[in-house]
Amino acid sequence: MNGTPRGFNRFLLGLLGLVLLVLGAAVVALAAVPAAGSWWQGWSAPQLESLRALAARTRLSPTMGSWIWVLAAACLLVVVIVMVAWIANQGKGRTGILLERAGSAEDDGAAGKVVLSCAVAEQALKSALSERTDLASASVSSWNFRGQASLRVRVLPRQGVAPHEVAGDIGALVESLDRLLGVQVPVLVSIGSGARSRFTKAERVR
Amino acid sequence: MTGFTQRLLKRETHSSRAPLSVAAAILVSLLAVYCLLEALLRAFGQPEWLVDPLTAADRLSRLPAGIPAVLLGSIGVLAFLLGLVFLAHAVLPGRRARHVMADPRVVVVVDDEVIASALARCARVAAGVTREQVVVVVSAASVQVNVRPTSGIGIDGGRIQAAVDSEVAAMGLDPVPTVAVHLASTGVIGV
Repeated sequence: MNGTPRGFNRFLLGLLGLVLLVLGAAVVALAAVPAAGSWWQGWSAPQLESLRALAARTRLSPTMGSWIWVLAAACLLVVVIVMVAWIANQGKGRTGILLERAGSAEDDGAAGKVVLSCAVAEQALKSALSERTDLASASVSSWNFRGQASLRVRVLPRQGVAPHEVAGDIGALVESLDRLLGVQVPVLVSIGSGARSRFTKAERVR
Repeated sequence: MTGFTQRLLKRETHSSRAPLSVAAAILVSLLAVYCLLEALLRAFGQPEWLVDPLTAADRLSRLPAGIPAVLLGSIGVLAFLLGLVFLAHAVLPGRRARHVMADPRVVVVVDDEVIASALARCARVAAGVTREQVVVVVSAASVQVNVRPTSGIGIDGGRIQAAVDSEVAAMGLDPVPTVAVHLASTGVIGV
């Protein structure tokens, strides 16, 4: 439920994949087909000459190179910035505010604002879940999913624990949290298995 | 089910492609930083670090010459395969091994591994065998329960089937898997 740009991930991976596919196929053709090699040499030699001429013509000063290298460097800098932004966008979207409600003087006699931190819900759920012996671990985090603060409960039950019973118990906990807070927050329960729940002994008595 | 919940479930049951995206971004930015360095060195009239851009372009334009054909061919095949991996990650759906569970208040997703271990416990109790004699494989549309009986003690396949079926029904999974119980023809001793 994080804000990873999934469509953009797929688009850029597809683009890179296509570029690499075409390049790879062209290089294999160069290596394997003599006619492709001679065509490439015949086509690229004049291009290279014009590039050399352009570089010589656009020389900035006798000691410095052409400005086309500065232009190339600027384009590469943009590429690097896009790549860093792409990495920085993976997995973001945590939030700290569960609820924000402004009051007005006409409404309840006091102008002001009520802000409920996510830690309220997180700690209430986590302390309730950590008492259970059939869960190897439980963690609660809050995320901003499509403009709405949502809770994500990740539990790792021990081997053999029925997941629907765990889910039902968490559902009951969340309902009591709803009554406590007075608002219904979207809650995702993710029941998984980690190394810790996999290698610990199965619970034999409950 | 609201659109919000559906979006949430789609994201939870499908892979985000984040690790490969990060790897690709690092690869591309390393390449771009190196080219940036060479272009700037050239622009300021400094000696090149590894290869001058114009020399590189010159070598590229004379390509089949100047490099062993086998090396060139293997570089091409490597790039092609890498491109295939990237494209496959972009196009394939990338379903994760998870099921959605029905619940009135919360949205629940369960790893298939957890379902398998719960069903194995259920089948083990129904068959009266030890943990090591039951293997359960859960995939999107099917549950396969393999039971090895204890030598000399008969077990009832129908009872195991009924027990696992009712457990699967109680879980309320989506997609609904079909249960198949296989009893091994040979038994184990010393358990």
